[in-house]
Amino acid sequence: MSIETDASAEPHEARAFSIGRLIDRHLGILSFIVLVLALEGGLTYFAVPDYVLPRPSQIFMSLVRGFAPPFLSPSQYYINIATTLTEALASFVLGSAFGILAGTLVVEFKGVRRLALPYVIGLQSVPKVALAPLFVVWFGFGIESKILLGVLLTFFPLLINTAAGLSSVERDRIELMSSLKAKRWTTFRLVKFPSALPYIFAGLEMAAVYSILGAVVGEFVGGNSGLGVLILSRNAALDIAGSLAALVILAVMGIALQRSVAFARSRMLFWAPVHDTLDSDQ
Amino acid sequence: MNARDASARVAEDFGSGGGPVARQAHVSPVPPASAGGAAPTIEVKGLTKTYKSKREGSVLALDDISFTVRDGEFVCIVGPSGCGKSTLLKILAGIVSHSVGTVAVRGKPPRDAANRLGLVFQAPVLLPWRTVLQNTLLPAQVLGLDRGAATARAHELLRMVGLEQFAGSYPGELSGGMQQRCSITRALLHDPSILLMDEPFGALDAMTRDTMNLELQRIWRESGKTIFLITHSIPEAVFLADRVLVMSPRPGKIVEEISVDLPRPRDLDTMSDPVFADTVRHIRGLFGIGAKDRPHVD
Repeated sequence: MSIETDASAEPHEARAFSIGRLIDRHLGILSFIVLVLALEGGLTYFAVPDYVLPRPSQIFMSLVRGFAPPFLSPSQYYINIATTLTEALASFVLGSAFGILAGTLVVEFKGVRRLALPYVIGLQSVPKVALAPLFVVWFGFGIESKILLGVLLTFFPLLINTAAGLSSVERDRIELMSSLKAKRWTTFRLVKFPSALPYIFAGLEMAAVYSILGAVVGEFVGGNSGLGVLILSRNAALDIAGSLAALVILAVMGIALQRSVAFARSRMLFWAPVHDTLDSDQ
Repeated sequence: MNARDASARVAEDFGSGGGPVARQAHVSPVPPASAGGAAPTIEVKGLTKTYKSKREGSVLALDDISFTVRDGEFVCIVGPSGCGKSTLLKILAGIVSHSVGTVAVRGKPPRDAANRLGLVFQAPVLLPWRTVLQNTLLPAQVLGLDRGAATARAHELLRMVGLEQFAGSYPGELSGGMQQRCSITRALLHDPSILLMDEPFGALDAMTRDTMNLELQRIWRESGKTIFLITHSIPEAVFLADRVLVMSPRPGKIVEEISVDLPRPRDLDTMSDPVFADTVRHIRGLFGIGAKDRPHVD
């Protein structure tokens, strides 16, 4: 594939239309189409049973059925998407806000750091999804237990990244402010916090993924509605195509949330070099 | 160590000329401040700075430094790398505290809120998310100055250093020399009477450096500010300064004060003046250049 790219870059390849360049540009889509076709053909040829691995066309049909009326039925996607999305967004916003606040307090106040850091380190080493059953017991089958699990998951990356960002502000910037006899809050607002934003955004991108994880795990453990609940009920009916279709929706949701954060970052951090190699293509 | 700390605290608390007896520089061709007419705007007596290092224990960075800078004077400090000249400047700026001795900037301790000096670093230290104009306006925001008046002054300063058409650009879009000019407009925005500069042109190429030196001289002559500039370039110090303070390698001491009697305004021809050459040669001699085991000075 890289050979084709090189060939299309040759000067004698001056034609506007080049198959090599076209393939290179749409490689992602093309490989996906090839994969789907191969799966479809392979699964049909080897007669793999639906309850083991359904064909892509069956997953697609399941998706179509799920989006069809009656829209408000609990077995259709709409209400379930709304539930999971609400849980994920709420835990993303709350967990990030608390994480940024806690990271700031830990860096800015020595007392807070001494007091809280042992707990933070202790809690961080606990696999937090293991708390999901407890959360359901404590906070019920509604969305609250899922939001709280998501908050717990998103809190730590933000706490750690905010603290790392605030601790690695260039010393010259701080000294500049101190030569102006700037108040502590002014230095924080004008220099330290903006300097830490690249770290904070890296944390937010992690949090975007974790917030959906929290919602789904919470729903697995016990819930009335949501894509996690839907996956469990389809699994119980050996409707693997339905299960995978819900998974596709979750993937789309995750990508959308992560892309939104990346978009906000590119707007706010136009001045910072991009570290994410996955983004370097765009 | 503890006794020394205690005496430092006492010296700072009472603002007395405490600490060890101030030792004068070997040669001091400069008359004392009172004879110079203008009042001293920076007064340093018996300044000593020790800091703790994990590997070396207690390190003496500055040893018994005394000097004064008169109002409107241009003073340069030359010294080899690591002689503590940056530390001295940070003490004057109120960023770092000193151990022993007294330091007065306009009659007050350097940390006093009234001493909002202009500070220029070796690196431009611009905030990359702010435009050139917004960077220049940073002191106005910190000090709560009138926005309209500050903006007008910022534009005036940017015009002075030839950055006006880049007011809306971000630092990442500018060359190193332009960024450094922006850091000078920022240092001048709140019209501080004292400008402290730490090797401000050290990172620039030789040609840009000459231009910046001429520009700095012009700014100094037009504004009447007191400038205290650190450099490791002897010709630069002689070219710019009314008076050059020569520092020894660590622990930093002032070895000699030399007044530079070259007419103003100085231009690039000044550098071929015999007085210029003699002064440069004299300072080189102080560092033992030409002898063995010379310290690193260019």
